[in-house]
Amino acid sequence: MDNPLHPFELHEWIPISLFGFDISINKAVVMMWMVAGLVAGLFLAAGSSRKLVPSKLQAVAELFVEFIRNMILDTMGRDGMRFFPFIATLFLFILFCNLLGLIPGSYTVTSQIAVTAAFAFFVFVMSIVVGIVLHGARFLRILIPAGTPKLLLPLMVPIELISQLARPVSLSVRLFANMTAGHTILSVLFGLAIAGGLLIGWLPFAFTIAMNALEVGIALIQAYIFTILTCVYLGDAIHLHGEEGHGH
Amino acid sequence: MPPSSDPFYTGLGQAVRIGTELLAALIVGGGLGWLADTYLFASSPWGTAIGLGFGAAAGVLNAYRAAQRWPQS
Repeated sequence: MDNPLHPFELHEWIPISLFGFDISINKAVVMMWMVAGLVAGLFLAAGSSRKLVPSKLQAVAELFVEFIRNMILDTMGRDGMRFFPFIATLFLFILFCNLLGLIPGSYTVTSQIAVTAAFAFFVFVMSIVVGIVLHGARFLRILIPAGTPKLLLPLMVPIELISQLARPVSLSVRLFANMTAGHTILSVLFGLAIAGGLLIGWLPFAFTIAMNALEVGIALIQAYIFTILTCVYLGDAIHLHGEEGHGH
Repeated sequence: MPPSSDPFYTGLGQAVRIGTELLAALIVGGGLGWLADTYLFASSPWGTAIGLGFGAAAGVLNAYRAAQRWPQS
């Protein structure tokens, strides 16, 4: 039976080295280009006519835009709308990476921790920069939960610091682990189907189909969770400790 | 189409969050403690132990906050 982790292996297609960095083109890189091209192409095509009575493609695009808009308004309020382009790009890119990865023979880019960690690190740095730009030195108060007695500060500040630092870790590990686990299960089941032959192989094959349906749901959820948590983290940087009546 | 419309998947998403929240804080806390042990103070194993304690507390705090954001229904 084939190694179930075989689908995650990456091989260089065109080896390129720039200033000592390995920037070779491989399947994941090509996949990311395709996703970026597909998302951009779909939405440019959907937005080109802008009819009052939308075409099918425009209706789908409007559904997405409306959904992302509501997500931002729910978590960040009106101030968050200036991050709409970033959030929308992040959501659509991750969503299409997850979904296209389910096509047999393609590659799930988000099953590489390097990719998800890069996203999460960027979001983390961005929330810090946004917080410092908006609040200056007062941003450090994010380390002190509202209403903490002075006596407890030596205990609460390290806990809060770790809880802040854990955000990019949980953000990246969650997406990476879910995608990797799902695709490992799929490849194990499919390997069983091949090994079982016609006599018993139909049973794991049926499970493969069922798992694939579940994986579509997981792909949607994980893209949604990643994006909504990005919104929450950016929202925390914008409104320190729920100032300006931002309830949650 | 929006993933949040199906209550089954919303619930699944929320459940999946809590687990990673606990784990990530533990990794960060333990990792920071271990770094302090190895490179700063040569105080092994105390840094790791204390770091894990703080990490566990931070994990519970993060899980609690994640649960607080659930929509009341």
